[in-house]
Amino acid sequence: MALANRLVENKSEATAIEITFGGAALRFNTPVSFAVTGALSDLTLNGVTIQPHTTHTAHEGDELQMATAAHGCRIYLALSAVLDAKRFLGSSSTYLPAALGGHEGRALMAGDRITLDSVRLVPAQATPEDLHPVSSNSYTLRAVEGPDFSRGSEQIWAEIYTATQRASRMGIELRGMFPVTEQVENRPSSAIWPGALQLPPGGNGFLLLADAQTTGGYPHILQVARADRHLLGQIRPGDRVRFLHRTQSQAVDALRAKQALLANWLPEFTL
Amino acid sequence: MSNTLITFCGDDALRLYVPDRATRFTRARQLEASGYWAEVVPGRRDITVQFDPHAHTPDEAMQILTSALRAPLQHGQETAQTVTIPVQFGGEEGPALASIAANLNLTEGEVVARLVEHPLEVDMLGFTPGFAYMSGLTDDLEIPRLAQPRQQVPGGSIGLITGQCGLYALPGPGGWPIIGRTALSLFDGRAEQPFRLQPGMRVTLVDAGSP
Repeated sequence: MALANRLVENKSEATAIEITFGGAALRFNTPVSFAVTGALSDLTLNGVTIQPHTTHTAHEGDELQMATAAHGCRIYLALSAVLDAKRFLGSSSTYLPAALGGHEGRALMAGDRITLDSVRLVPAQATPEDLHPVSSNSYTLRAVEGPDFSRGSEQIWAEIYTATQRASRMGIELRGMFPVTEQVENRPSSAIWPGALQLPPGGNGFLLLADAQTTGGYPHILQVARADRHLLGQIRPGDRVRFLHRTQSQAVDALRAKQALLANWLPEFTL
Repeated sequence: MSNTLITFCGDDALRLYVPDRATRFTRARQLEASGYWAEVVPGRRDITVQFDPHAHTPDEAMQILTSALRAPLQHGQETAQTVTIPVQFGGEEGPALASIAANLNLTEGEVVARLVEHPLEVDMLGFTPGFAYMSGLTDDLEIPRLAQPRQQVPGGSIGLITGQCGLYALPGPGGWPIIGRTALSLFDGRAEQPFRLQPGMRVTLVDAGSP
């Protein structure tokens, strides 16, 4: 989303549209510049192929079509305008379970109209080649031990897990061999946040994403390093996931290295 | 205070074990007031704080937290705020009350009596926005979580598991059996503090009778 916003000269956190798996069409009722990033899907503007990671300008009546993404899960569309969206606790993000934020707190539907304010037109730019995210169906994520990691948990670094169909903005289920953890009835709940891997009694793992619950009682055995948490939203059902063991200080070094790579192109964005 | 009470919690957070309730709330307020931590989240036995890994290494954050704990705690004489919540127990509002009572060999009225006899205390907010974990019930009523969580629980619902009540301020998914619902609004999206219940508050549940 930050990369899409950058191409239309918005702030990194400006309200943008997230499209899960693609398969969307939008008509522009006003001239506006836009850019598409995230999961790779074939894009056309009035039937003519256009490129992601590039600024385009639409004319009134133009139609943008996004095919189903071949890899990745979420596509981002940024517009050189202020999108009318409800705000809650300082964010315009849509939180579906409680119908907060965004467009009436729900996913967009065919026929919805999005009001644009302060529309500008901006010059064409392209994301530098080395900052294009790698599109793949397998993810290797750097991670550190979670608070409930124990000596028997080591196998988690050797396994390759598969993402299942149980996926939402709250989290995605991973199938594979997980360590056996002590299950405590009514275990006292503690804070959890995106990137946590929880082990509910069912035997599969649950990797928490951007809309994660804020507390939980299942064993939290691994935490994806902050440097790689931005990748989590692109994992789709069927994708492979591996975890790479890092210490806390290695994970923070990785974060700072990645932040330094982004500094020129996205100076006000923090991972 | 010794270091053994603090553990790393991933690469950008630390966890501090504070089993005593009153100390936990006072400590959480102190850490929040310092303005240093990006998040301060009290749990049922601990406090988790998130630090800025761009500004500090994990070891530096550990040192900062350790020295913050040397500052004396201001145990105030503040009396906990009490909120009274009228609840419709059982029926459509509380579909699990009948089966919970049957499993415990009690009547629905006897289960409700246990909930309203003493004020409960809000331990923490969490899970989904505004979900209040309340303690103050004895552990002798054994009530498990649902085997299969429900996708959508109406806002105002009250769930019950062993030793704890949970109040859903907003509609959302949930894994606690639902025994009643309050019509009292627990959420105001425009208020600076949108949720009426806050950790440390006392809550008196009142049987509102049949609708």
